[in-house]
Amino acid sequence: MEIISVKHLTKQYETYHRGHDARSVFKSLFHREKSVITSVDDLSFQVPQGEIIGILGPNGAGKSTTIKMLTGVLYPTSGEINIMGFNPHKQKNQYVKQIGVVFGQKSQLIWDIPPLDSFHMNKEIYDIPAEDFRKRLERLKEMFEVADIITKPTRNLSLGERMKCEFIMAMLHSPPVVFLDEPTIGLDLIAKQRIREFIQEMNRQGTTFILTTHDLEDVERLANRVLIIHQGKKVYDNSLAGLRLHLGAKKVVRLSAAAPIGNIDYPGVEISEQISDYEAELLIDTGQCALGAFLHRISESVDITDISIKEIPIEKIIGSIYEEPVAAM
Amino acid sequence: MKRLLRIYRVCVMANLATAVSYRMNFLLNCLITLIGNVLFPLVTVIIYNSNASFAGWTFHEALLIQAVFILSTACASMLFNGIMWSTMSHVVEGSLEVLLIKPAPGLFLLLAQAFNIESIGLLTGGLVIFGYALGGVGGMSLVTWLLFLLLFAAGLLVMLGVVLIVAAISFKWVANSRLPEMFESVKAFGRYPGTIFPRMLVAISSFIFPVSMIAFFPASALIGRWKGYHLAAILPCLLFAGFGVWLYNRMLHSYKSAGG
Repeated sequence: MEIISVKHLTKQYETYHRGHDARSVFKSLFHREKSVITSVDDLSFQVPQGEIIGILGPNGAGKSTTIKMLTGVLYPTSGEINIMGFNPHKQKNQYVKQIGVVFGQKSQLIWDIPPLDSFHMNKEIYDIPAEDFRKRLERLKEMFEVADIITKPTRNLSLGERMKCEFIMAMLHSPPVVFLDEPTIGLDLIAKQRIREFIQEMNRQGTTFILTTHDLEDVERLANRVLIIHQGKKVYDNSLAGLRLHLGAKKVVRLSAAAPIGNIDYPGVEISEQISDYEAELLIDTGQCALGAFLHRISESVDITDISIKEIPIEKIIGSIYEEPVAAM
Repeated sequence: MKRLLRIYRVCVMANLATAVSYRMNFLLNCLITLIGNVLFPLVTVIIYNSNASFAGWTFHEALLIQAVFILSTACASMLFNGIMWSTMSHVVEGSLEVLLIKPAPGLFLLLAQAFNIESIGLLTGGLVIFGYALGGVGGMSLVTWLLFLLLFAAGLLVMLGVVLIVAAISFKWVANSRLPEMFESVKAFGRYPGTIFPRMLVAISSFIFPVSMIAFFPASALIGRWKGYHLAAILPCLLFAGFGVWLYNRMLHSYKSAGG
């Protein structure tokens, strides 16, 4: 069942330009050059209940603007949004009770007082019954292991601790849909891991997550589906496995040899990186050259000391999509 | 309504907790605000000690107007002036979304979070001068007290309206921090008995930009010196506040946020 339906969503805004020389600065006092920027351009997608969808894109692609329109913060220039039967802008108060939002770069906690005070503020704002609030807070405290830190002033907490508290803020009212805007930005590996485990656990219990991130590991570890936005347009919308096939059925083989490797001139095989005379990284198009056949051939011509076979790094695939946007899928 | 009151209470508690977390800053701010505002009536003391006066007003009556002005300023500062600064800061930093994602009206949340306990010093100072001034005036009755409270509330509405209009303008004209200074200058007319000003200025300060409602009209009502047009000036006060609320909510729609 679809929980989110977005149709032809567009957001435009006006901005100003000026040069940096004194004349331009002076001129801008009287006249500024306006231009209209389309930050989200005719975006359509659906999200079924219980899915984790990762929204990817380079800086300025329109990811955060999309999230802000979905959360009712920004008004779309045109298009339709239907989330759990609500129009986020026309039924804002009822709608925002049903969603949770975590902004990786904007805190909902009050800086000078303990997170516990902010949690109690949310209890009243979201009208959470006292018993439900107590139970949920206990559970979330346990899941994040934050019982000791929520009574300290927020300003004294580490970024990882603060982010755990941001998640608690977003989850106290048990929202069925949660928007995460770069939730792991700046976090260390352990904190990221804890956050990812939490998202997976909540997703198992039925929560739908919409995640924007620059951390591809977040997507690989969490998302069932990837939506790539470039220059405001959707350029990919499918599974992560499908994304891996975007550059074709290719494998990366890293090869070390006892003697110089020399020329490898097989169909469907290219040297992607010559690390040294004795070590190279090869890109094998398994559509043209079966992996078994390649291994058989290479073992005859090269004295192999070590070999590893990997998938193409997701960064490389996404980079290729950014360079040559594909038609919307 | 009960829910909004609960939200307001919890936000005020959070503001109190924030204020007292920097104790020295809290005490100093209370003191500086008090000194900065309470010293002004000294001018009146000096004027009257020099055998001069505001024509037709005794020392205690003139002091009463200035005490009411301090009380109005303290209430505005405590209850809603913070909306202006927090809106400007949210617009500049693009952080208003943390409020807009909450299931309560954005303006109400800003109002609840704008509560500023540091004005308690100013309020106390105002009450002391008010009490002293009351000791030297007569003509008060239950009716004049009720009228005083009505006009005092109307004066607060004028200030709320101005705060909301300035805050709303900041959505379009981001760096407008000098606008509040302009209002402070205009507001200063409310500190004096209106009768010392030319008629045109009295009309403007009563009906166009009703700053007389901040102190002069309520103080006059309290000592039984009110006129019919003082009550009529409630209407522009309501319009000011209403326009402020309308404009602020309208401008909230044009909020652009900042890049993520």
